[in-house]
Amino acid sequence: MGVTRDGEPALRATGIEHAYGDVPALRGVDLEVAPGECVALLGPNGAGKTTLIGLATGLLAVQTGRVAVKGRDPRRAATRRLLGVVQQQLGFPRTLTVAELVRGAAVRAGRPATAALGALAEVGITELADRRSAKLSGGQQQRVALAMALVGDPQLLLLDEPTVGLDVTARREFWQTVAARRDAGAGVLLTTHVVEEAAAVADQVVVLHEGRVIAAGSPAELIALLPDRTVTARTTLPACAVADLPAALSVSNDGELLRVSSTAPEELLRAWLAADPWLSDLRVEGAGLEQALVVLTERAGVFA
Amino acid sequence: MTAPGAGAVLGVEVAEGLRGVIREPAALFFSVVVPVLFFTMFTALFGSMPSPNGLPVAASMLATFGAFGVVSVMQLNPGISVASDRESGWLRMKKVSAAPVWITIAGKVLAALPYALAVLAALTAVALAVVGPVIGVGPWLRLVVVLLLGSLPFACLGLAVGFLASANATTAILNAILFPMVIASGLWIPLEAMPAWVGGIAPFLPTYHLAQLALAQLTGAPAAAHVLVLLAATVVTGGLAGWAYRNLRV
Repeated sequence: MGVTRDGEPALRATGIEHAYGDVPALRGVDLEVAPGECVALLGPNGAGKTTLIGLATGLLAVQTGRVAVKGRDPRRAATRRLLGVVQQQLGFPRTLTVAELVRGAAVRAGRPATAALGALAEVGITELADRRSAKLSGGQQQRVALAMALVGDPQLLLLDEPTVGLDVTARREFWQTVAARRDAGAGVLLTTHVVEEAAAVADQVVVLHEGRVIAAGSPAELIALLPDRTVTARTTLPACAVADLPAALSVSNDGELLRVSSTAPEELLRAWLAADPWLSDLRVEGAGLEQALVVLTERAGVFA
Repeated sequence: MTAPGAGAVLGVEVAEGLRGVIREPAALFFSVVVPVLFFTMFTALFGSMPSPNGLPVAASMLATFGAFGVVSVMQLNPGISVASDRESGWLRMKKVSAAPVWITIAGKVLAALPYALAVLAALTAVALAVVGPVIGVGPWLRLVVVLLLGSLPFACLGLAVGFLASANATTAILNAILFPMVIASGLWIPLEAMPAWVGGIAPFLPTYHLAQLALAQLTGAPAAAHVLVLLAATVVTGGLAGWAYRNLRV
Protein backbone atom coordinates (compact mmCIF):
# COMPACT_ATOMS: atom_id res chain seq x y z
CA MET A 1 0.00 0.00 0.00
CA GLY A 2 1.02 3.60 -0.41
CA VAL A 3 2.84 2.87 -3.67
CA THR A 4 1.25 4.50 -6.68
CA ARG A 5 0.93 2.10 -9.57
CA ASP A 6 0.26 4.30 -12.54
CA GLY A 7 0.69 1.46 -15.00
CA GLU A 8 -2.26 -0.43 -13.54
CA PRO A 9 -5.58 -0.29 -15.39
CA ALA A 10 -8.33 1.65 -13.65
CA LEU A 11 -10.31 -1.59 -13.46
CA ARG A 12 -9.37 -5.16 -14.27
CA ALA A 13 -11.82 -8.00 -13.84
CA THR A 14 -10.70 -11.49 -14.84
CA GLY A 15 -12.57 -14.77 -14.90
CA ILE A 16 -15.56 -13.41 -13.01
CA GLU A 17 -18.30 -15.86 -12.17
CA HIS A 18 -21.04 -14.80 -9.81
CA ALA A 19 -24.31 -16.37 -8.72
CA TYR A 20 -27.15 -15.42 -6.39
CA GLY A 21 -27.91 -18.76 -4.80
CA ASP A 22 -28.45 -21.07 -7.75
CA VAL A 23 -29.09 -18.28 -10.21
CA PRO A 24 -25.98 -17.39 -12.21
CA ALA A 25 -25.54 -13.66 -12.90
CA LEU A 26 -22.07 -13.66 -14.48
CA ARG A 27 -20.54 -16.69 -16.19
CA GLY A 28 -16.91 -15.98 -16.97
CA VAL A 29 -16.41 -12.28 -17.68
CA ASP A 30 -13.16 -10.45 -18.40
CA LEU A 31 -13.17 -6.68 -18.54
CA GLU A 32 -10.56 -3.95 -18.45
CA VAL A 33 -10.90 -0.18 -18.23
CA ALA A 34 -7.72 1.77 -18.93
CA PRO A 35 -7.06 5.22 -17.47
CA GLY A 36 -8.63 7.79 -19.77
CA GLU A 37 -10.95 5.20 -21.32
CA CYS A 38 -14.73 5.07 -21.25
CA VAL A 39 -16.30 1.61 -21.44
CA ALA A 40 -20.03 1.10 -21.84
CA LEU A 41 -21.73 -2.06 -20.61
CA LEU A 42 -24.77 -2.81 -22.73
CA GLY A 43 -27.30 -5.53 -22.42
CA PRO A 44 -30.87 -6.33 -21.54
CA ASN A 45 -32.10 -6.40 -17.93
CA GLY A 46 -30.67 -9.32 -16.04
CA ALA A 47 -27.58 -9.46 -18.24
CA GLY A 48 -25.33 -8.97 -15.21
CA LYS A 49 -24.40 -5.30 -15.63
CA THR A 50 -25.27 -4.19 -12.11
CA THR A 51 -23.59 -7.28 -10.63
CA LEU A 52 -20.37 -6.33 -12.41
CA ILE A 53 -20.63 -2.77 -11.08
CA GLY A 54 -21.35 -4.17 -7.60
CA LEU A 55 -18.15 -6.23 -7.72
CA ALA A 56 -16.11 -3.23 -8.88
CA THR A 57 -17.45 -1.06 -6.04
CA GLY A 58 -16.63 -3.73 -3.46
CA LEU A 59 -20.29 -3.98 -2.51
CA LEU A 60 -20.33 -7.64 -3.56
CA ALA A 61 -17.65 -10.15 -2.58
CA VAL A 62 -15.94 -11.83 -5.52
CA GLN A 63 -16.95 -15.49 -5.73
CA THR A 64 -14.75 -16.63 -8.61
CA GLY A 65 -12.13 -14.60 -10.44
CA ARG A 66 -10.37 -11.40 -9.55
CA VAL A 67 -11.36 -7.73 -9.47
CA ALA A 68 -8.77 -4.99 -9.04
CA VAL A 69 -9.08 -1.21 -9.05
CA LYS A 70 -5.64 0.20 -9.87
CA GLY A 71 -4.28 -3.17 -8.80
CA ARG A 72 -6.04 -3.08 -5.43
CA ASP A 73 -8.97 -4.87 -3.86
CA PRO A 74 -12.13 -2.69 -3.85
CA ARG A 75 -13.36 -4.55 -0.76
CA ARG A 76 -10.74 -2.57 1.17
CA ALA A 77 -12.08 0.83 2.23
CA ALA A 78 -8.82 2.59 1.31
CA THR A 79 -9.10 1.37 -2.31
CA ARG A 80 -12.53 2.93 -2.62
CA ARG A 81 -10.85 6.31 -2.19
CA LEU A 82 -10.07 5.84 -5.92
CA LEU A 83 -13.72 5.30 -6.89
CA GLY A 84 -16.53 7.62 -7.82
CA VAL A 85 -19.86 5.80 -7.99
CA VAL A 86 -23.32 6.75 -9.20
CA GLN A 87 -25.74 4.00 -8.24
CA GLN A 88 -29.17 3.28 -9.64
CA GLN A 89 -30.96 3.98 -6.37
CA LEU A 90 -29.83 7.25 -4.80
CA GLY A 91 -31.86 7.54 -1.58
CA PHE A 92 -30.56 10.88 -0.29
CA PRO A 93 -31.87 11.77 3.18
CA ARG A 94 -34.64 14.28 2.48
CA THR A 95 -33.50 16.64 5.21
CA LEU A 96 -30.02 17.36 3.81
CA THR A 97 -29.16 20.12 1.37
CA VAL A 98 -27.21 19.58 -1.83
CA ALA A 99 -24.13 21.29 -0.38
CA GLU A 100 -24.29 19.11 2.74
CA LEU A 101 -24.58 15.96 0.63
CA VAL A 102 -21.57 16.84 -1.50
CA ARG A 103 -19.51 18.02 1.51
CA GLY A 104 -20.27 14.71 3.23
CA ALA A 105 -19.16 12.83 0.12
CA ALA A 106 -15.94 14.86 0.08
CA VAL A 107 -15.11 13.99 3.69
CA ARG A 108 -15.98 10.31 3.16
CA ALA A 109 -13.55 10.31 0.24
CA GLY A 110 -10.80 11.74 2.43
CA ARG A 111 -10.92 15.27 1.05
CA PRO A 112 -11.66 18.58 2.74
CA ALA A 113 -15.33 19.59 2.81
CA THR A 114 -14.42 22.71 0.81
CA ALA A 115 -13.79 20.48 -2.23
CA ALA A 116 -17.60 20.41 -2.58
CA LEU A 117 -17.61 23.91 -4.10
CA GLY A 118 -15.54 22.79 -7.06
CA ALA A 119 -17.64 19.68 -7.66
CA LEU A 120 -20.89 21.68 -7.57
CA ALA A 121 -19.47 24.10 -10.13
CA GLU A 122 -18.09 21.29 -12.30
CA VAL A 123 -21.53 19.69 -12.58
CA GLY A 124 -23.25 23.06 -12.91
CA ILE A 125 -25.44 22.91 -9.82
CA THR A 126 -23.93 25.70 -7.74
CA GLU A 127 -27.34 27.40 -7.64
CA LEU A 128 -28.87 24.28 -6.05
CA ALA A 129 -26.40 24.26 -3.14
CA ASP A 130 -28.92 25.24 -0.44
CA ARG A 131 -31.84 23.18 -1.71
CA ARG A 132 -33.03 20.21 0.35
CA SER A 133 -32.75 16.89 -1.46
CA ALA A 134 -36.50 16.29 -1.02
CA LYS A 135 -37.12 19.26 -3.35
CA LEU A 136 -34.88 18.04 -6.20
CA SER A 137 -36.21 16.71 -9.50
CA GLY A 138 -34.99 13.32 -10.69
CA GLY A 139 -32.54 14.93 -13.09
CA GLN A 140 -31.18 17.25 -10.42
CA GLN A 141 -30.66 14.26 -8.11
CA GLN A 142 -28.61 12.52 -10.81
CA ARG A 143 -26.40 15.58 -11.11
CA VAL A 144 -25.96 15.78 -7.34
CA ALA A 145 -24.98 12.11 -7.41
CA LEU A 146 -22.42 12.90 -10.13
CA ALA A 147 -21.01 15.78 -8.05
CA MET A 148 -20.73 13.39 -5.08
CA ALA A 149 -18.94 10.87 -7.28
CA LEU A 150 -16.50 13.46 -8.68
CA VAL A 151 -15.69 15.30 -5.45
CA GLY A 152 -13.17 12.63 -4.39
CA ASP A 153 -11.17 13.05 -7.62
CA PRO A 154 -11.71 9.41 -8.62
CA GLN A 155 -9.44 7.40 -10.91
CA LEU A 156 -12.36 5.14 -11.79
CA LEU A 157 -15.93 6.34 -12.31
CA LEU A 158 -18.63 3.68 -12.07
CA LEU A 159 -21.97 4.88 -13.42
CA ASP A 160 -24.94 2.50 -13.23
CA GLU A 161 -27.72 3.75 -15.52
CA PRO A 162 -26.87 7.33 -14.53
CA THR A 163 -28.99 9.20 -17.06
CA VAL A 164 -32.35 7.52 -16.49
CA GLY A 165 -34.92 10.29 -16.19
CA LEU A 166 -32.75 13.03 -17.66
CA ASP A 167 -33.95 15.09 -20.60
CA VAL A 168 -31.81 15.45 -23.71
CA THR A 169 -30.04 18.63 -22.60
CA ALA A 170 -29.30 17.36 -19.10
CA ARG A 171 -28.04 14.13 -20.61
CA ARG A 172 -25.63 15.94 -22.90
CA GLU A 173 -24.31 18.07 -20.03
CA PHE A 174 -23.93 15.00 -17.84
CA TRP A 175 -21.82 13.22 -20.45
CA GLN A 176 -19.79 16.35 -21.20
CA THR A 177 -18.77 16.48 -17.54
CA VAL A 178 -17.92 12.77 -17.54
CA ALA A 179 -15.99 13.07 -20.81
CA ALA A 180 -13.91 15.92 -19.37
CA ARG A 181 -12.89 13.69 -16.47
CA ARG A 182 -12.15 10.86 -18.89
CA ASP A 183 -9.94 13.19 -20.94
CA ALA A 184 -8.18 14.17 -17.70
CA GLY A 185 -7.25 10.52 -17.15
CA ALA A 186 -10.05 8.87 -15.20
CA GLY A 187 -11.33 5.47 -16.31
CA VAL A 188 -15.10 5.31 -16.79
CA LEU A 189 -17.37 2.26 -16.72
CA LEU A 190 -21.02 2.93 -17.40
CA THR A 191 -24.15 0.92 -17.97
CA THR A 192 -26.97 2.23 -20.08
CA HIS A 193 -29.99 1.13 -22.02
CA VAL A 194 -29.68 4.04 -24.41
CA VAL A 195 -27.59 2.60 -27.17
CA GLU A 196 -26.97 5.87 -29.02
CA GLU A 197 -25.66 7.26 -25.77
CA ALA A 198 -23.15 4.44 -25.38
CA ALA A 199 -22.08 4.86 -28.99
CA ALA A 200 -21.61 8.60 -28.56
CA VAL A 201 -19.83 8.49 -25.21
CA ALA A 202 -17.89 5.24 -25.02
CA ASP A 203 -14.54 4.29 -26.49
CA GLN A 204 -15.37 0.61 -25.99
CA VAL A 205 -18.74 -1.09 -25.89
CA VAL A 206 -19.07 -4.43 -24.11
CA VAL A 207 -22.27 -6.33 -24.74
CA LEU A 208 -23.39 -8.56 -21.89
CA HIS A 209 -26.04 -11.19 -22.34
CA GLU A 210 -27.06 -13.71 -19.69
CA GLY A 211 -23.83 -13.22 -17.81
CA ARG A 212 -21.46 -13.50 -20.77
CA VAL A 213 -19.68 -10.98 -22.98
CA ILE A 214 -21.13 -11.66 -26.41
CA ALA A 215 -19.40 -8.80 -28.19
CA ALA A 216 -16.86 -6.10 -27.46
CA GLY A 217 -15.22 -3.38 -29.46
CA SER A 218 -15.44 0.24 -30.44
CA PRO A 219 -18.93 1.36 -31.45
CA ALA A 220 -17.79 1.37 -35.09
CA GLU A 221 -16.29 -2.14 -34.83
CA LEU A 222 -19.46 -3.43 -33.31
CA ILE A 223 -21.55 -2.08 -36.14
CA ALA A 224 -19.12 -3.52 -38.68
CA LEU A 225 -19.60 -6.98 -37.18
CA LEU A 226 -23.18 -6.83 -38.16
CA PRO A 227 -25.50 -7.07 -41.10
CA ASP A 228 -25.14 -3.78 -42.92
CA ARG A 229 -28.81 -3.23 -43.75
CA THR A 230 -32.18 -3.47 -42.18
CA VAL A 231 -35.31 -3.70 -44.26
CA THR A 232 -38.56 -2.44 -42.76
CA ALA A 233 -41.94 -2.99 -44.41
CA ARG A 234 -45.64 -3.63 -43.93
CA THR A 235 -46.37 -7.19 -44.99
CA THR A 236 -49.20 -9.68 -45.04
CA LEU A 237 -46.81 -12.55 -44.27
CA PRO A 238 -46.37 -13.83 -40.72
CA ALA A 239 -43.02 -13.04 -39.10
CA CYS A 240 -41.91 -16.67 -39.14
CA ALA A 241 -42.46 -16.86 -42.89
CA VAL A 242 -40.33 -13.74 -43.40
CA ALA A 243 -37.60 -15.21 -41.21
CA ASP A 244 -37.43 -18.19 -43.60
CA LEU A 245 -36.77 -15.98 -46.63
CA PRO A 246 -33.28 -16.16 -48.13
CA ALA A 247 -30.73 -13.72 -46.59
CA ALA A 248 -33.04 -12.85 -43.64
CA LEU A 249 -30.95 -12.85 -40.44
CA SER A 250 -33.34 -11.71 -37.76
CA VAL A 251 -36.89 -10.44 -37.62
CA SER A 252 -38.42 -8.06 -35.12
CA ASN A 253 -41.68 -6.14 -34.85
CA ASP A 254 -41.63 -2.39 -35.23
CA GLY A 255 -45.19 -1.34 -34.50
CA GLU A 256 -47.26 -2.62 -37.42
CA LEU A 257 -44.16 -3.03 -39.49
CA LEU A 258 -41.69 -5.87 -39.64
CA ARG A 259 -37.96 -5.16 -39.41
CA VAL A 260 -35.55 -7.63 -40.98
CA SER A 261 -31.77 -7.46 -40.89
CA SER A 262 -29.79 -8.83 -43.78
CA THR A 263 -26.32 -8.86 -45.31
CA ALA A 264 -27.88 -9.10 -48.76
CA PRO A 265 -30.99 -6.94 -48.76
CA GLU A 266 -31.46 -7.15 -52.59
CA GLU A 267 -31.74 -10.92 -52.43
CA LEU A 268 -34.08 -10.68 -49.44
CA LEU A 269 -36.32 -8.14 -51.15
CA ARG A 270 -36.64 -10.15 -54.35
CA ALA A 271 -37.88 -13.14 -52.38
CA TRP A 272 -40.06 -11.04 -50.09
CA LEU A 273 -41.80 -9.22 -52.97
CA ALA A 274 -42.37 -12.52 -54.74
CA ALA A 275 -43.98 -13.98 -51.63
CA ASP A 276 -46.00 -10.87 -50.73
CA PRO A 277 -47.14 -8.71 -53.67
CA TRP A 278 -48.89 -6.33 -51.22
CA LEU A 279 -45.60 -5.36 -49.50
CA SER A 280 -45.74 -1.62 -48.65
CA ASP A 281 -44.08 1.17 -46.62
CA LEU A 282 -40.72 -0.27 -47.62
CA ARG A 283 -37.57 1.24 -46.11
CA VAL A 284 -33.95 0.07 -46.30
CA GLU A 285 -31.42 1.47 -43.78
CA GLY A 286 -27.92 0.95 -42.48
CA ALA A 287 -28.08 -0.95 -39.19
CA GLY A 288 -27.55 1.17 -36.09
CA LEU A 289 -26.22 -0.11 -32.82
CA GLU A 290 -29.75 -0.73 -31.59
CA GLN A 291 -30.34 -3.30 -34.34
CA ALA A 292 -26.84 -4.59 -33.80
CA LEU A 293 -27.76 -5.45 -30.23
CA VAL A 294 -30.95 -7.18 -31.25
CA VAL A 295 -28.99 -9.34 -33.65
CA LEU A 296 -26.16 -10.00 -31.21
CA THR A 297 -28.41 -11.03 -28.34
CA GLU A 298 -30.53 -13.22 -30.62
CA ARG A 299 -27.42 -14.88 -31.98
CA ALA A 300 -26.15 -15.42 -28.41
CA GLY A 301 -29.50 -16.93 -27.51
CA VAL A 302 -29.15 -19.42 -30.37
CA PHE A 303 -25.65 -20.51 -29.38
CA ALA A 304 -26.03 -20.35 -25.59
CA MET B 1 -3.56 8.47 -1.24
CA THR B 2 -4.99 9.45 2.12
CA ALA B 3 -7.71 7.52 3.86
CA PRO B 4 -10.52 9.69 5.21
CA GLY B 5 -10.01 10.67 8.84
CA ALA B 6 -12.33 8.67 11.07
CA GLY B 7 -12.93 11.74 13.25
CA ALA B 8 -13.96 13.91 10.33
CA VAL B 9 -16.31 11.25 8.95
CA LEU B 10 -17.83 10.70 12.38
CA GLY B 11 -18.41 14.46 12.61
CA VAL B 12 -20.26 14.42 9.28
CA GLU B 13 -22.36 11.42 10.33
CA VAL B 14 -23.36 12.99 13.65
CA ALA B 15 -24.15 16.31 11.98
CA GLU B 16 -26.34 14.55 9.37
CA GLY B 17 -28.17 12.66 12.10
CA LEU B 18 -28.78 15.79 14.17
CA ARG B 19 -29.99 17.76 11.15
CA GLY B 20 -32.43 14.99 10.32
CA VAL B 21 -34.24 15.38 13.62
CA ILE B 22 -34.00 19.17 13.87
CA ARG B 23 -35.43 19.64 10.38
CA GLU B 24 -38.08 16.91 10.60
CA PRO B 25 -38.74 16.50 14.31
CA ALA B 26 -41.94 14.48 13.78
CA ALA B 27 -39.85 11.29 13.73
CA LEU B 28 -38.96 11.66 17.41
CA PHE B 29 -42.28 13.19 18.49
CA PHE B 30 -43.56 10.16 20.38
CA SER B 31 -40.23 9.28 21.95
CA VAL B 32 -40.03 12.74 23.50
CA VAL B 33 -43.64 13.80 23.96
CA VAL B 34 -45.10 10.62 25.49
CA PRO B 35 -42.74 10.41 28.49
CA VAL B 36 -42.97 14.15 29.11
CA LEU B 37 -46.77 14.13 28.94
CA PHE B 38 -47.18 11.21 31.35
CA PHE B 39 -44.53 12.62 33.62
CA THR B 40 -46.32 15.99 33.79
CA MET B 41 -49.61 14.34 34.62
CA PHE B 42 -48.24 12.08 37.36
CA THR B 43 -46.04 14.80 38.86
CA ALA B 44 -48.96 17.18 39.05
CA LEU B 45 -51.00 14.51 40.86
CA PHE B 46 -48.47 12.89 43.18
CA GLY B 47 -45.20 14.79 42.73
CA SER B 48 -44.60 16.02 46.26
CA MET B 49 -45.79 12.88 48.09
CA PRO B 50 -43.09 10.55 49.41
CA SER B 51 -42.49 7.33 47.51
CA PRO B 52 -41.64 4.02 49.29
CA ASN B 53 -37.89 4.65 48.94
CA GLY B 54 -38.23 7.91 50.90
CA LEU B 55 -37.69 10.25 47.94
CA PRO B 56 -40.46 12.56 46.74
CA VAL B 57 -42.40 10.90 43.91
CA ALA B 58 -41.17 13.56 41.47
CA ALA B 59 -37.55 12.56 42.20
CA SER B 60 -38.26 8.83 41.84
CA MET B 61 -40.10 9.49 38.62
CA LEU B 62 -37.18 11.46 37.25
CA ALA B 63 -35.28 8.15 37.38
CA THR B 64 -38.05 5.87 36.09
CA PHE B 65 -39.52 8.16 33.42
CA GLY B 66 -36.00 9.29 32.62
CA ALA B 67 -35.08 5.65 31.96
CA PHE B 68 -38.21 5.24 29.83
CA GLY B 69 -37.51 8.37 27.79
CA VAL B 70 -33.83 7.62 27.22
CA VAL B 71 -34.42 3.96 26.32
CA SER B 72 -37.25 4.95 24.00
CA VAL B 73 -35.03 7.37 22.04
CA MET B 74 -31.93 5.17 22.04
CA GLN B 75 -33.63 1.89 21.17
CA LEU B 76 -35.83 3.32 18.41
CA ASN B 77 -33.91 6.14 16.76
CA PRO B 78 -30.60 4.58 15.57
CA GLY B 79 -32.26 1.27 14.65
CA ILE B 80 -35.08 2.77 12.59
CA SER B 81 -32.65 5.21 11.01
CA VAL B 82 -30.36 2.39 9.83
CA ALA B 83 -33.33 0.40 8.52
CA SER B 84 -34.66 3.32 6.47
CA ASP B 85 -31.17 4.13 5.15
CA ARG B 86 -30.94 0.52 4.00
CA GLU B 87 -34.31 0.76 2.31
CA SER B 88 -33.65 4.06 0.56
CA GLY B 89 -30.26 2.99 -0.79
CA TRP B 90 -28.43 5.67 1.22
CA LEU B 91 -26.51 3.11 3.26
CA ARG B 92 -25.37 1.48 0.02
CA MET B 93 -24.02 4.83 -1.14
CA LYS B 94 -22.01 5.05 2.05
CA LYS B 95 -20.87 1.47 1.77
CA VAL B 96 -19.17 2.13 -1.57
CA SER B 97 -17.39 5.17 -0.12
CA ALA B 98 -13.91 5.02 1.39
CA ALA B 99 -15.29 5.51 4.90
CA PRO B 100 -16.01 2.33 6.90
CA VAL B 101 -19.71 1.75 7.56
CA TRP B 102 -19.19 1.22 11.30
CA ILE B 103 -18.52 4.96 11.58
CA THR B 104 -21.96 5.61 10.11
CA ILE B 105 -23.46 3.30 12.72
CA ALA B 106 -21.55 4.88 15.60
CA GLY B 107 -22.59 8.30 14.31
CA LYS B 108 -26.25 7.31 14.49
CA VAL B 109 -25.93 6.30 18.14
CA LEU B 110 -24.03 9.48 19.03
CA ALA B 111 -26.52 11.66 17.14
CA ALA B 112 -29.38 10.19 19.20
CA LEU B 113 -27.75 11.08 22.54
CA PRO B 114 -28.64 14.81 22.43
CA TYR B 115 -32.31 13.85 22.04
CA ALA B 116 -32.15 11.50 24.98
CA LEU B 117 -30.58 14.37 26.90
CA ALA B 118 -33.37 16.67 25.70
CA VAL B 119 -35.98 14.30 27.16
CA LEU B 120 -34.18 14.37 30.51
CA ALA B 121 -33.97 18.16 30.39
CA ALA B 122 -37.69 18.42 29.64
CA LEU B 123 -38.58 16.08 32.51
CA THR B 124 -36.34 18.05 34.86
CA ALA B 125 -37.92 21.33 33.79
CA VAL B 126 -41.41 19.93 34.43
CA ALA B 127 -40.37 18.64 37.87
CA LEU B 128 -38.87 22.01 38.75
CA ALA B 129 -41.93 23.89 37.56
CA VAL B 130 -44.49 21.65 39.24
CA VAL B 131 -42.82 20.56 42.48
CA GLY B 132 -39.65 22.63 42.77
CA PRO B 133 -36.12 21.30 43.26
CA VAL B 134 -36.33 17.70 44.51
CA ILE B 135 -32.73 16.53 44.02
CA GLY B 136 -29.32 18.16 44.17
CA VAL B 137 -27.25 19.05 41.10
CA GLY B 138 -24.65 16.33 41.83
CA PRO B 139 -27.11 13.41 41.98
CA TRP B 140 -28.92 14.84 38.95
CA LEU B 141 -25.71 14.88 36.92
CA ARG B 142 -24.93 11.30 37.98
CA LEU B 143 -28.45 10.29 37.02
CA VAL B 144 -28.03 11.79 33.54
CA VAL B 145 -24.63 10.16 32.97
CA VAL B 146 -25.83 6.76 34.18
CA LEU B 147 -28.95 6.85 31.99
CA LEU B 148 -27.07 7.89 28.86
CA LEU B 149 -24.29 5.31 29.32
CA GLY B 150 -26.81 2.66 30.32
CA SER B 151 -28.73 3.17 27.09
CA LEU B 152 -25.99 1.43 25.08
CA PRO B 153 -27.48 -2.12 25.23
CA PHE B 154 -30.81 -0.72 24.02
CA ALA B 155 -29.12 1.09 21.14
CA CYS B 156 -27.38 -2.19 20.20
CA LEU B 157 -30.71 -4.04 20.24
CA GLY B 158 -32.28 -1.38 18.03
CA LEU B 159 -29.37 -1.61 15.56
CA ALA B 160 -29.49 -5.42 15.48
CA VAL B 161 -33.13 -5.27 14.38
CA GLY B 162 -32.52 -2.32 12.04
CA PHE B 163 -29.70 -4.20 10.26
CA LEU B 164 -32.06 -7.00 9.26
CA ALA B 165 -35.67 -5.76 9.12
CA SER B 166 -37.44 -3.15 7.00
CA ALA B 167 -38.02 0.30 8.52
CA ASN B 168 -41.69 -0.43 9.23
CA ALA B 169 -40.94 -3.83 10.72
CA THR B 170 -38.10 -2.37 12.80
CA THR B 171 -40.46 0.24 14.25
CA ALA B 172 -43.06 -2.39 15.06
CA ILE B 173 -40.62 -4.92 16.52
CA LEU B 174 -38.77 -2.39 18.67
CA ASN B 175 -41.99 -0.88 20.04
CA ALA B 176 -43.36 -4.36 20.72
CA ILE B 177 -40.25 -5.05 22.80
CA LEU B 178 -40.09 -1.60 24.40
CA PHE B 179 -43.55 -1.11 25.85
CA PRO B 180 -44.06 -4.42 27.68
CA MET B 181 -40.50 -4.13 28.99
CA VAL B 182 -41.10 -0.59 30.22
CA ILE B 183 -44.39 -1.42 31.93
CA ALA B 184 -43.13 -4.65 33.53
CA SER B 185 -40.08 -2.80 34.86
CA GLY B 186 -42.29 -0.33 36.74
CA LEU B 187 -41.20 2.67 34.70
CA TRP B 188 -44.73 4.00 34.16
CA ILE B 189 -46.57 2.73 37.18
CA PRO B 190 -44.52 1.87 40.29
CA LEU B 191 -44.09 -1.89 40.82
CA GLU B 192 -45.66 -1.45 44.27
CA ALA B 193 -48.92 -0.53 42.56
CA MET B 194 -48.83 -3.53 40.20
CA PRO B 195 -49.67 -7.23 40.69
CA ALA B 196 -46.94 -9.09 42.57
CA TRP B 197 -46.09 -11.33 39.56
CA VAL B 198 -45.02 -8.24 37.58
CA GLY B 199 -42.52 -7.49 40.33
CA GLY B 200 -41.27 -11.06 39.87
CA ILE B 201 -40.57 -10.46 36.15
CA ALA B 202 -38.95 -7.05 36.56
CA PRO B 203 -35.46 -8.22 37.74
CA PHE B 204 -35.07 -10.13 34.45
CA LEU B 205 -35.44 -6.96 32.39
CA PRO B 206 -32.56 -4.57 31.61
CA THR B 207 -34.90 -1.57 31.79
CA TYR B 208 -35.59 -2.40 35.46
CA HIS B 209 -31.88 -2.39 36.25
CA LEU B 210 -31.31 0.87 34.36
CA ALA B 211 -34.05 2.58 36.39
CA GLN B 212 -32.74 1.07 39.65
CA LEU B 213 -29.22 2.20 38.78
CA ALA B 214 -30.56 5.73 38.18
CA LEU B 215 -32.53 5.62 41.45
CA ALA B 216 -29.43 4.48 43.31
CA GLN B 217 -27.75 7.74 42.28
CA LEU B 218 -30.45 9.54 44.31
CA THR B 219 -30.80 7.15 47.26
CA GLY B 220 -27.21 5.92 47.58
CA ALA B 221 -28.42 2.30 47.42
CA PRO B 222 -25.85 -0.31 46.23
CA ALA B 223 -25.70 -0.33 42.44
CA ALA B 224 -23.02 -2.90 41.48
CA ALA B 225 -25.54 -5.64 40.62
CA HIS B 226 -27.43 -3.31 38.25
CA VAL B 227 -24.19 -2.31 36.53
CA LEU B 228 -23.28 -5.98 36.06
CA VAL B 229 -26.67 -6.83 34.55
CA LEU B 230 -26.43 -3.86 32.16
CA LEU B 231 -22.90 -4.89 31.15
CA ALA B 232 -24.13 -8.43 30.48
CA ALA B 233 -27.03 -7.02 28.45
CA THR B 234 -24.53 -4.95 26.45
CA VAL B 235 -22.45 -8.04 25.69
CA VAL B 236 -25.54 -9.94 24.51
CA THR B 237 -27.11 -7.16 22.44
CA GLY B 238 -23.70 -6.04 21.17
CA GLY B 239 -23.02 -9.60 20.01
CA LEU B 240 -26.43 -9.68 18.37
CA ALA B 241 -25.76 -6.39 16.60
CA GLY B 242 -22.33 -7.65 15.48
CA TRP B 243 -23.85 -10.82 14.06
CA ALA B 244 -26.60 -8.84 12.30
CA TYR B 245 -23.96 -6.44 10.93
CA ARG B 246 -22.09 -9.30 9.33
CA ASN B 247 -25.34 -10.35 7.67
CA LEU B 248 -26.12 -6.78 6.67
CA ARG B 249 -27.79 -6.57 3.25
CA VAL B 250 -27.63 -3.09 1.83
